[in-house]
Amino acid sequence: MIREFLVWLQDQWGKGAGDTAQSWSQQLLGSLNLWGLVEGTHLLSLMLFAGTILFVDLRLIGATFQRTPVSVLSRRILPMTVFGFGFMVITGAALFFAKPLFYYHNIWFRAKLIFLALALVNIVIFHLRAHRNQQVWDLLPKPPTETRILAAISLASWLLVIILGRFMAYSWFDCGKPIPHWVNLVQECKTSEHGAVDASAMAAIGGTGS
Amino acid sequence: MKITFGEALPNLRPWVQHLDQVWPAYIIKPQFASWEVLHILSLVILGGTAILMNLRLAGAGLVEEKPSELYRSLRRWQDLGVIGIVVSGVLIGMANAERLYDSTAFVVKIIALIAGIVLTYGASRPIAKADGVVSASARSWFLIGAALWLGSVTVFATAVLANPGLFHVLLAAALIVLLLTRRGARGVFAAGLVVLVLGQIIITHTVIPADDLSRLDPANKVYAALLALWIFGNAAREILSPSTDQEAGRLAKLIGYASILVWVTAAAAGRWIAFA
Repeated sequence: MIREFLVWLQDQWGKGAGDTAQSWSQQLLGSLNLWGLVEGTHLLSLMLFAGTILFVDLRLIGATFQRTPVSVLSRRILPMTVFGFGFMVITGAALFFAKPLFYYHNIWFRAKLIFLALALVNIVIFHLRAHRNQQVWDLLPKPPTETRILAAISLASWLLVIILGRFMAYSWFDCGKPIPHWVNLVQECKTSEHGAVDASAMAAIGGTGS
Repeated sequence: MKITFGEALPNLRPWVQHLDQVWPAYIIKPQFASWEVLHILSLVILGGTAILMNLRLAGAGLVEEKPSELYRSLRRWQDLGVIGIVVSGVLIGMANAERLYDSTAFVVKIIALIAGIVLTYGASRPIAKADGVVSASARSWFLIGAALWLGSVTVFATAVLANPGLFHVLLAAALIVLLLTRRGARGVFAAGLVVLVLGQIIITHTVIPADDLSRLDPANKVYAALLALWIFGNAAREILSPSTDQEAGRLAKLIGYASILVWVTAAAAGRWIAFA
């Protein structure tokens, strides 16, 4: 169901008449500069988004800005973080739109979405729990343990989102290559246009795959 | 003429060709992705510190704190970011040397990196440490750093296929100016930006056919120049406004602007090495 939608999104949506006509997704991917600009903006937005949330989390952990009230730091920095996140989401969606099937069958992308969800859930938990009594620990150089744990989870989640996002560019586990069975399963390679090639099965018959 | 290290220093080619086979490059190469991640994480740390410290110099961001307090809280992290960028950059550069040797975007990145270090350590940080007081030494380093940065931008503009990366710098400059412009003028500035960007999209997608590169290229360059004029004109108006600061405050503001944009230039050039 999802895959069929993505096939339509990649190959059909916006496609005009004629043999050489391209869908909007293909036009974006094949554009001379637009794809590069979107990709570059996605990466550069990290400086704003991750660069600012890093210091909010580090303050919550008690590692820096210990003399600055958390409320002041949040009020001044988080709007920039949200703005940067908006850029990341818009450019990220455009990058996904350019190669939806590639990302759908990519283990790093799937893992990235999980940690992205974890980071967002963590924000909700922070607001429901730690944020409620913030006036009590707002000025403390080191906030309470629960707050520090939530900040550490936030840091770790965003760190993993960045790492997994970079690994998506590498073809180590592309469908159609001899890869571990479980990776084929996780990526649903069987339904991909390249199919699933089991590394262990290839080794058993003495082949190396393509 | 293409501006690359290969063109400037052609005798080094045999040495560059073997760089990926000497220590530690041959160890790095199989773990290239991990070192790239380290490079990006260093960029995040450096970007965050540069944005927070320099926006404060420019009069935005954490205005409740003195610039010296931001300096105190951020300096070690900034050192970590700069060291991480340089070390991981040298290592992944060695493993990928020949490509970089023939890349104009790499020349831009290196000049901008040097400019960034000069501006950060020579001007921005000493000014933040002195709570906005601009010493003669900081002024001198700013002039050197700004000249290097403008040099990198000039090379970027001449880089065939990589020059669209300049739009990242323009976008960042527009966002900073938008943030720092006073309320009344902010709407006018934003409206001007929208008109210019929409105009560019309409002209380069409807008036000029998508495959007519001989007309698209000059059209895009004219729009880049107009955007730069609009953005930096507004920045100059904001900085020189008589109602805001003393001369030293204005200079600190200008250094704040430049010290963010120089890192954006280095990062944008770094990304466009892969595209051109």
